[in-house]
Amino acid sequence: MTDSVNQTMAATERKPTNWADPAMRKRIAKRYTAEKRFKATGLFAISLSIIFLAFLLFTMIGNGLNGFRQSEIALEIDFPAVTAGASAASISGANADSQLRSMDLPGVIDLALSENYGEAGAEYLTANAATKLRSTLINDPLMIEGKAKIWLPAASEIDIAYKGKGEEEIEKAITQLKAKDQIRTSFNFDFLTNSDATDPADVGIWGALKGSLFTLIITLSMAFPVGVLAALYLEEYAPKNRFTDLIEVSINNLAAVPSIIFGLLGLVVFLTWFNLPRSSALVGGLTLALMTMPVIVIAGRNAIKSVPPSIREAALGIGASPIQVVFHHVLPLALPGILTGTIIGMARALGETAPLLMIGMVAFISAPPQGFTDATTALPVQIFLWSDEVNRGFVEKTSAAIIILLIFLLGMNALAIYLRNRFETRW
Amino acid sequence: MNGTALLFLILGLGLIAWIMGRAKAAIFVRESVGKTRGYVNSLPGYHGWYLALWAVIPPLFFLALWNTISPALITNMVLASPLASELPQDGFARAAILSEARAIAQGFQETAFQAKSPGFVSLYKEAISFYGWIGVLLTLVLFFAGALYAYTRLKPDLRARNKVEKLVMVVLLIASLIATVTTIGIFASLIFEAIRFFQMVSPIEFLFGTSWSPRSNISEGYNNGYGAIPLFWGTVFVGAIIAMIVAIPLGLMSAVFLTQYASPKWRSWLKPVLEILAGVPTVVYGYFAALTIAPAVRDFAVMIGFSNAASDNALAAGVVMGVMIIPLISSMADDSIAAVPSAMRDGSLAMGATKSETIKKVLLPAALPGVVGGILLAVSRAIGETMIVVMAAGYTANLTANPFDSISTITVQIKALLTGDIDFNGPQVLAAFALGLTLFIITFLLNLMALRIVKKYREAYD
Repeated sequence: MTDSVNQTMAATERKPTNWADPAMRKRIAKRYTAEKRFKATGLFAISLSIIFLAFLLFTMIGNGLNGFRQSEIALEIDFPAVTAGASAASISGANADSQLRSMDLPGVIDLALSENYGEAGAEYLTANAATKLRSTLINDPLMIEGKAKIWLPAASEIDIAYKGKGEEEIEKAITQLKAKDQIRTSFNFDFLTNSDATDPADVGIWGALKGSLFTLIITLSMAFPVGVLAALYLEEYAPKNRFTDLIEVSINNLAAVPSIIFGLLGLVVFLTWFNLPRSSALVGGLTLALMTMPVIVIAGRNAIKSVPPSIREAALGIGASPIQVVFHHVLPLALPGILTGTIIGMARALGETAPLLMIGMVAFISAPPQGFTDATTALPVQIFLWSDEVNRGFVEKTSAAIIILLIFLLGMNALAIYLRNRFETRW
Repeated sequence: MNGTALLFLILGLGLIAWIMGRAKAAIFVRESVGKTRGYVNSLPGYHGWYLALWAVIPPLFFLALWNTISPALITNMVLASPLASELPQDGFARAAILSEARAIAQGFQETAFQAKSPGFVSLYKEAISFYGWIGVLLTLVLFFAGALYAYTRLKPDLRARNKVEKLVMVVLLIASLIATVTTIGIFASLIFEAIRFFQMVSPIEFLFGTSWSPRSNISEGYNNGYGAIPLFWGTVFVGAIIAMIVAIPLGLMSAVFLTQYASPKWRSWLKPVLEILAGVPTVVYGYFAALTIAPAVRDFAVMIGFSNAASDNALAAGVVMGVMIIPLISSMADDSIAAVPSAMRDGSLAMGATKSETIKKVLLPAALPGVVGGILLAVSRAIGETMIVVMAAGYTANLTANPFDSISTITVQIKALLTGDIDFNGPQVLAAFALGLTLFIITFLLNLMALRIVKKYREAYD
């Protein structure tokens, strides 16, 4: 009896929460709205990143696709009249190129332009049109014995105007050309095979691509062995002492040093102390190797760490030496992880610009490099150089180069992800 | 015979040495069959390596050394000839003639521009071939001496494996030392040039001066335009203030959403997007900022009344840099939220707290050290970032807090001072190294602090 009285007394003292109470309901509703609001903020944050990325890619592709197209203008040339009766036989065979070079093709084009389009026609084609005409004639020598209609690359102003945004005067000319079906666009193969040039209609990406390739070869061949060996030492053999701590701190720190500082290092050490050739793939590769090496070491250590100790113990147990354990068993098992890290590091090196600017890769170089010591540009450097150009024709070329760079980066990252999924073993 | 051919010759001979060593050890093995004594210590392959390494390594070291000293020997030999007395006394003209003659002798150049250099071409040819043959001879002698020494030591009880493995350990140690050497190299190369700079310009002007417009002729005691305060401010304003205002909330909230709210399926789609954002090269961000964001920001600024807004404004560079940093902060926050013991989270949820209350009151406070470490790393990354600010922010160093104004940073000025014609002894180039040293020290301290905080915090829950 008294017990139940006590209970009711206690109950009156500590009133149970009345969840149906309007004040309480309001509080709960408020808390739930706060919850929803918070979740929406999170979604908003991540959507913002996605929208930004989409906007960036959209802008680049929108601008860049035009860079892969080249406007061409039809030119009717009456060859027998202007080349004093050159025969097809004279421009075929081994010395065709030199024969055609001696023929003043730019003059032929100028003449044909004024015949076809009058005075305004002089500005219609790029300076490179003669080269194009030469290669066309080499491919089809018979053309020179008659009248022929040839499509030649249009000058940069015409190109821009035809693809959409041009000055009034040029637009007028284009409407006339369009009416007679004398202008078209075609896929710009020259953009993939040419190198840098002063006229945006003639520029190409090949020189920069080759420079990047040479640079990455040097980077890979320096950074990969050193990085893997360093990772093996630190993870498998290094004694725990202050000396090892020093190595670890310097690797972790190097991974976060600004890239431009590596450029300064390359400038002082490789260019002034060792006198290596300026703006060459060799120096660029070495500089990027110093930058990539810590990335490979860190990825390598994680991969090596994930190889279970039982494998080491089994190998030691049947008489392998510590070196044999590592090189025969641990390293092969860790290799997929190391390769993934290496590819990601190389992708970073491919996109890196600032250190390359420091070692002199800002020059205008119109020929692809022939070797590791030739002066060269690299893909990101080329993008930077074109972005600085005043001529509006370079905008689409810059974006086109960015598309190519992004394709390479995406390809490398996809390869890394594929390797990770295909070969990664969960122990 | 040139260096590359010699290198391949030595490597080829090394391969032969490897085969020979292996063959000899194989004979030991055959002889020891059925005997109780004469047991072969190492596998035949190790004997091969032992022989090959003894034969190849000394000549390779010698070749590296010879390549650095032989040019001086060749020049000495040329200068010792009677013709050398005709050379001009002026050191510069002398060097020009000699280097041209050498280039022609080596076939790098075809025609001479200096009148006197053709006379030296044959001298150079003679000296080059003389020392070339000496080099080849010495290399081969070293090779055979090493090979002979090692060959005589091949015996059944030779501990060839242990000796080869000792060398492998040395190589491993050297590889891991390269990182330390690089760090020291960075510091040394920056500090030497920076000291030369501070001999011309007082450190007080550099650190506390408020006007930056570097001049090439220095006058003692005056303001020479090397006051770096506007640059320090610009770096902090763009990298640590504007970029972080964008990156910290967005990065943190992205991490919270990804770890706490998104379903695994969504997560597997959203995370790669952030990774792509992190993988876009900075030059692309820079171009995007300069092409699209900066003009938009300027138009906006003009619209709200800042009529003198610059097209290379600080805001555009800072915002784009912030977006670049989002994935970094997000992944660091992701890691540290995941490291909070799930008992804490479950406890809070069991008490009736909503998810967002748990995140705000339990998870984030517990993960704070890791988040702060991540933010420090992000700041260090942002202030060292070059391409975005080079392309979108300006070259004029204004000391202003107006985000629509043009502003310059440390990295922009390093790039500006070091590209173009470089006079390696001029104060402008040296100033770039002083700026580089400042940047290195700041980022080094930030990184060290961040790594300390992250490490300490991890230990607390492990």
